[in-house]
Amino acid sequence: MLSGALAAIALAALVAGIAGAWSPCGFSMVDTIGTALGDVRRATMTLASATFTLGALAGGAVTFGGLALLGSLLGGGASGVRDAIAAALALAAAAADWRGLRIAPQIRRQVPERWRWIMPLPLACALYGVLLGLGFTTFVLSFAVWALAGMSFASGSLSFGLVAGIAFGVGRALPVLWIAPRLGREDGQRALDRLALEPRLWLGLRRVDAIALSFGALLLGAAAATAAPPAQFAHLGTDPSTAGRALAWERPTTGGWLVRPAGTARIPGRFPALGGGRIAWVAADGAITVATRFPAPHPRTFAAPASASIDDLAVSRHWLVVRDQGSGGVANLFAISLAHPKRRVYLQGAGLPGAIGRPSLSGSRVVWTYSDAVRSTLYEANLATGARRILLRSARNVLYANPSLAGGRLLYERSDRCVQDVLLGSSAAPAHARVILALPSIVTRDPGYQPGYVQDYNTASLCHNRKTGPGGTMTLGPTALGIATAWVSESPPALAATRIVAVAI
Amino acid sequence: MPSEDPQTRSLSDEVARSSNRRGFLERLGGAVIALAGAPVVAAALLPADAQAEAYTNFCGHTYTTGNCPAPTGLPRIDRNGYPLRASDGVPVDDLGRPVNSRDEPIDAQGRLLTDADGVPLAPAPRTRVCETAGHDYGIQLSLDGSWYRCCGGTVRRIRDCCGSTNVRINGDAALPGYCYPGRHVFCVTYFETTMPC
Repeated sequence: MLSGALAAIALAALVAGIAGAWSPCGFSMVDTIGTALGDVRRATMTLASATFTLGALAGGAVTFGGLALLGSLLGGGASGVRDAIAAALALAAAAADWRGLRIAPQIRRQVPERWRWIMPLPLACALYGVLLGLGFTTFVLSFAVWALAGMSFASGSLSFGLVAGIAFGVGRALPVLWIAPRLGREDGQRALDRLALEPRLWLGLRRVDAIALSFGALLLGAAAATAAPPAQFAHLGTDPSTAGRALAWERPTTGGWLVRPAGTARIPGRFPALGGGRIAWVAADGAITVATRFPAPHPRTFAAPASASIDDLAVSRHWLVVRDQGSGGVANLFAISLAHPKRRVYLQGAGLPGAIGRPSLSGSRVVWTYSDAVRSTLYEANLATGARRILLRSARNVLYANPSLAGGRLLYERSDRCVQDVLLGSSAAPAHARVILALPSIVTRDPGYQPGYVQDYNTASLCHNRKTGPGGTMTLGPTALGIATAWVSESPPALAATRIVAVAI
Repeated sequence: MPSEDPQTRSLSDEVARSSNRRGFLERLGGAVIALAGAPVVAAALLPADAQAEAYTNFCGHTYTTGNCPAPTGLPRIDRNGYPLRASDGVPVDDLGRPVNSRDEPIDAQGRLLTDADGVPLAPAPRTRVCETAGHDYGIQLSLDGSWYRCCGGTVRRIRDCCGSTNVRINGDAALPGYCYPGRHVFCVTYFETTMPC
């Protein structure tokens, strides 16, 4: 969806650049490069055209890329809000351009004419290109230019800014490249005349711009809607769980919370889980509550296991998966059929605290990790058929943790002595996943040599992604996988400050 | 920080290849270099234990074979070959986290590390440094012979991680070092004894 919006924005920027040809500077450039140079100086003209184009591309990239970079300094997250602002700007500019409104605010400045006389033509044209590419140093010929600037800033995405900027630069260069080489001939002169005498062409281009901007606004608006819930609501907490446009999480001091389009609500319990149109949590008395909505008028409850406390849940339409910790120190992971609660599937047991990781459910498939000093394994089981398989296993160096399953997509964490990675891939081929977030390992590392001795041949002791000494301060924790967002818990040394961050995927 | 002359180092390594006992190697190397008329260089290259500056990377390690990859940097191991944090000898897992006797990750006070919910963090694999180096590089490796030197007031056991390989972790030719016959040093580790010296 976002790539479609980006294509629409690129088209709008290209057309906005072309529309700039109807400005005083646009005409001047055609003439400067093409006028009466004749065949003798064709090479100079070709070079000037090339430098002008490069200058325009650079100028566009600087303006729109720079604005995007500035926007990124506002911080990550809140992609939905950013998309919504960008969509609103695009829509407003589209309306104004469609109606052909007078451009305001207008920049009544031109490029310095004297450069044409005091500099070699290619150099002067390069600088002219930069000024025109910058967009706001001379006349602005469509509202789209203003909108693109605002959208680049609001996006906070360098790629967005660069795409818009380069497309704008190409647009500024195209009319010059099209007409200037032919200016000495009749058809070239006719083209320039048509340009100068047909403002309807310019107005038509503004309407094309309006259509492209509207299309971009539509797609950005859709992205904003699906990007909910906003990240800032889930700022402090852990154990995220998401389904559709809702996100539930645990705040260790206050219990479960739920955020959805209707607002934020506190859940009367802990370890909230979402999935399959259901919400589940562990009530204060230890019993499990499952409901189809919240607040829940008629929730189902499942008694707490005897002599055990539940410390995590996962839920789907037909299944509930429970991790508990027995008083004897044995942890268990098992599934309960919601249709036939007496039907239970035992998944894992462990005498080692923390060995069984947090489960995640998608339909009838559940994933979890089991790790001890011998190996770390990521399992998947089909609760309907009983089939179980190993998705990933490592007997050394690596710890797998905190998987999340959504359809066929699999999110998981992989940690080694150097790095903590969050990877997104397919449960069918989990080893071929891409890293969407990487943090340095938290352990203190020495430089691989003792001070005072010859330091050499110790590269195998080093980590390329981090320095020696204390490591990072954040430990990755539980995750959730949404449609366009991965939610990841990050714990600082003060665990109460654990937070959930949104990573666009 | 002193550095070895590459030519001399190459000569020493060449000498080392012809031997599988470092004591003999030191004597032979010393003789060869001394005969070559470089007694000063020989003294620098083949130091007594007290001449710490001639060791590479850590006290007691002569010659140039690189460290085995270890979770926290320096390849300090316990007597069974499992990784320890070099600075204080605390056992660590393969991620470099300090662990208790059950291999559970712990904090500086010895308490179990937990997540924000209070649930203990998952243990991670804890494997022998030498064997894991072999796994990482696709070679079967094991700890063979040793040499002992006085380091920081205690006896340190330099343990060569050896295999049937002619290439060492540095990427160049492997030396026999303290390995069993027919095997060569791939990388080095050390074990700190409690024996004062």
